[in-house]
Amino acid sequence: MSVIAPNFKLSEFIKSILDNVFWFLLIFTLIGIPAVMFILFYIEMPVIDGELLTPFLALTWLADPSRSIPILKAFMATDLFRIAAFPGFGFAALLAAGTIFVERKMLAKLQLRVGPFYCGKVEGILQLMGDGLKLISKEIIIPAKADKPLFWAAPVLFVATAAAFVALIPVAPGWVVADLDVGLLAVFAVIGFFPIITILSAWSANSKFPFIGGIRALYQMVSFEIPLILSLLGVVILTGTLNLSEITASQSSFPWIIFLPIGAIVFFITMLAELERIPFDLPEAESEIVAGWLTEFSGMMYGLVQLGTYLKLYSFAALFVVLFLGGWNGPMIWPPFPEEIITEGIELGPVTAQFPGLPVFSQEMLNGTIWFVLKTVGVIFFILLPRGVFPRIRVDMLLDLGWKKLIGLAFVNIFIALGLLYAGILGPGGIL
Amino acid sequence: MSSDSEKEAVEKKPEESKPTETKPPEKPATAKPDEQKPAATKPAPAKKPAPTKEEPELPAFEKGIADKIIEKFGEKTTISFVKPDRVGIKVGRDDIHNVAEFARDTLNYDHVDSVAGVDYPADKEIEVVYHLSSYTDPTLSRQILELATRAQREEDPIPGNDATKLPSLRDIFYSVEFHEREVFEMLGVYFEGHPDNRRLLLPEDWADLPPLRKDFRNKGR
Amino acid sequence: MSSPTLPPGLAIQKADERIMTLNVGPQHPGSGHMRIIVQIDGDYIVACDPDPGYVHRGEEKMAEYRNYTLNVPHLERPVIHDSCNILYPYVLAAEELLGLEIPERAKYIRVIASELNRCIYTQYWLAIYGIFLGHSTMFMWPAGDRELLIDLMEKMTGARVTHSYFIPGGIRNDLPANFEDVCLRQVNYFEKRIKEYADVFYNNPILISRTEKTGVLTRENAIKLGTTGSVLRASGVDYDVRKKEPYDVYDELDFETNVMKDGDSYARSRIPWLDMMESCRIIRNALQKMPKSGSVRVKLKPNPKGELGSVYKRIESGRGALGCYIVSDKKVEPYRVKLSVPSFRNLIALPHLLIGEKLGNMPSVYWSLNYWPVEADR
Repeated sequence: MSVIAPNFKLSEFIKSILDNVFWFLLIFTLIGIPAVMFILFYIEMPVIDGELLTPFLALTWLADPSRSIPILKAFMATDLFRIAAFPGFGFAALLAAGTIFVERKMLAKLQLRVGPFYCGKVEGILQLMGDGLKLISKEIIIPAKADKPLFWAAPVLFVATAAAFVALIPVAPGWVVADLDVGLLAVFAVIGFFPIITILSAWSANSKFPFIGGIRALYQMVSFEIPLILSLLGVVILTGTLNLSEITASQSSFPWIIFLPIGAIVFFITMLAELERIPFDLPEAESEIVAGWLTEFSGMMYGLVQLGTYLKLYSFAALFVVLFLGGWNGPMIWPPFPEEIITEGIELGPVTAQFPGLPVFSQEMLNGTIWFVLKTVGVIFFILLPRGVFPRIRVDMLLDLGWKKLIGLAFVNIFIALGLLYAGILGPGGIL
Repeated sequence: MSSDSEKEAVEKKPEESKPTETKPPEKPATAKPDEQKPAATKPAPAKKPAPTKEEPELPAFEKGIADKIIEKFGEKTTISFVKPDRVGIKVGRDDIHNVAEFARDTLNYDHVDSVAGVDYPADKEIEVVYHLSSYTDPTLSRQILELATRAQREEDPIPGNDATKLPSLRDIFYSVEFHEREVFEMLGVYFEGHPDNRRLLLPEDWADLPPLRKDFRNKGR
Repeated sequence: MSSPTLPPGLAIQKADERIMTLNVGPQHPGSGHMRIIVQIDGDYIVACDPDPGYVHRGEEKMAEYRNYTLNVPHLERPVIHDSCNILYPYVLAAEELLGLEIPERAKYIRVIASELNRCIYTQYWLAIYGIFLGHSTMFMWPAGDRELLIDLMEKMTGARVTHSYFIPGGIRNDLPANFEDVCLRQVNYFEKRIKEYADVFYNNPILISRTEKTGVLTRENAIKLGTTGSVLRASGVDYDVRKKEPYDVYDELDFETNVMKDGDSYARSRIPWLDMMESCRIIRNALQKMPKSGSVRVKLKPNPKGELGSVYKRIESGRGALGCYIVSDKKVEPYRVKLSVPSFRNLIALPHLLIGEKLGNMPSVYWSLNYWPVEADR
């Protein structure tokens, strides 16, 4: 009985097509042409091969591949690309998505089950996308007595802060969004924002469980921030700089973890606490306080907080790599580009396309990125692993650990660094 | 258990109620539960022969426990049955406290396994059965002492504010706390001296008869 | 009719500014189907009022309308994971009232089913204990290994959880062919598997530091509060109904009871695990001693009438001593059925253990009481 289109009429079909054409033309003339004019007259275009990039020139790259590479390179040099795509948000989000997938699969294997399996045919690789779609399509429920502006702002602020953290991480030589001379101080400043956001969201939800969770998060983050900062001072003492790129560059022959293992361990533990990972996931302890400070978040607000959490996870792991594992440093494993590719281009099938200046990235950059990603993934793996092994710790034990043990160990680490410095072994003007 | 003896007791109510009424200067409603005592004590002579009939089969140890209680309290208690590992004693509402204290201090029963309320609308009484057991005394580890007492039943109950009252055993056996609360809500027996006579299992807005009474009928049954 | 009492929860102390009242449950990941009203001062619990009854179904009332056989399927509902054990005292009591003597083989099969069910229950309990402590691996492992025994029970009874296997007069059906071998193999594997839990859970330093010396129930208090089962044995009282008052064939089997002296959450969580190993031993022993053939039930007359009187029977379930008190008035239906359930008896210890504890200890102490909310509510 059922027909797909019971009232189909050819005339109406044609009319709908004409309608679409009309609206397209209208919107294009109203918005598209002014946009082109705006770009032409108000935005400074890059100079490529001695020519100013005009819209005409920009459109020719569709026809001539040899022109596309310089335009791409010019685009990659902009801040927008760095922030949105490569060393910044996009790259980090991609790694974070991979982390979520790996976490779920690894945990499943540890626990003798399958994990995500159906979504995306191959081992549930698209599960995360499905989850994201579900979160987007869900209703956002806000408690009646919540402080609405703050409550709305909290997840956004959380993601923004996590993204700010991402911006400080140098991925490859020269590839960092914000190359600051006070890089490490900036990191501390950004980390200091998280407890504020947490307590703001917990308070604004006007509900008991988020409140307790927020207070717990505050305790935890504040008490672990001190050993975290202290444990990094050893590296600063030995390198004499706060710039993260310079710290990375200083580890070209050996990573600092060799000389400062105690600092690395303390930093790793405080990192777990700052990330609210098991065994330190007290602010989200579901059997005690439901979901802690996330209890009242629903729909994509919760999704944003999760995104922020995993960005934070990536950033902390990357910070560990940069400070203790030598960042992008590593033996050259990327094969050198053949000379003819750089000068002449590559053959694509029957056509030999001319791509002058083809390697968009340099060999060092690719090699550094590979090493950086490998190390970061390793650290992330170790951050994920305790989830399958440990139960949750208790608040008093956590504070005891933070204030008594870790601070003491961090000081030991500083004394080791000072000893190495004054013995003249390491540091500026040292033997090594 | 046997309804015959209970009917006897009911018949004899008017004679026995007079002396008890003079004792406690309480509300007139409390005179009714005092009729309980005759209900338990009066059938005693009629009941006593019952266990003696089976005497050759009676297990010795359990008989000893029963005899100790009878020795101490005499007429006030009745042995309802003596079976292997089980002794059943019937006590009037005024003596339940003393008997329980005796069971704890002298007989070494240290906790209550269960408190069951049974409604007997025909007798106008509600029986509350305490199952006493012992962890500390190894000779009693198999034993259950059943202390049964009866409270007067009201046709139109107002739980807590009517004559359906019994003394609480919570000061003797701490473990009865929740059990007595359950009996209170399920049968409307108010336990005097219980520190926390609140609802336990039923919903807060329950406004019907106590559900384990026989006149509360399940729907469709 | 006006209720003279306060609704639950309002009787605990009036909150001042320092005190926060938390409703933990009944819709809460850390409570099960019950509500614990706690008042906290900072991180310390100052008042606690357990409020069971969220899933009260009136099983005792329902039992007054059905005859002795029809009561079987619904009386097992309070603990579907331990359904053989919750039926056990009822069936024993009904048999005494109906004057039935059950065959020897049925007794052994009952013991096997009961012990398998104890393991199934304990695995479920352990899984929840794991997730209450935030240990997700300990949630998945017991939940997965439990399937082995569930499959076994399915072979035996035809149902995965609600078996309705014990009936007055024996058991419903005989074992399937070749059951002994399968059972032995699965139980041996199961025992090997649960021994691995020690590595990931019971010897875990964080777990030990979290649960040791929390919620300590002394021996005197355990007796005074009338607790039972693993709670009692963790406090150093060696009392197991299977040993002290053996029912069916437990006096012919070779097993031991596990007792620990500490009385803290850790001891309480360890005792059921040790009990599972004893259960495996009992099952192997029973399989060996079981008569290889014979009838498994006596034929019941339709609508049998119980003799006048009352019976109180008790058994040791996965949580502790489970008693059933049946009053009969010579009718087809029992006059009154009272289940004295271990969860309900252990619940009384909860306020005593929680007051003065930290909020973070609440799930571990609460669940270490071996408490099953649905069973307490009946």
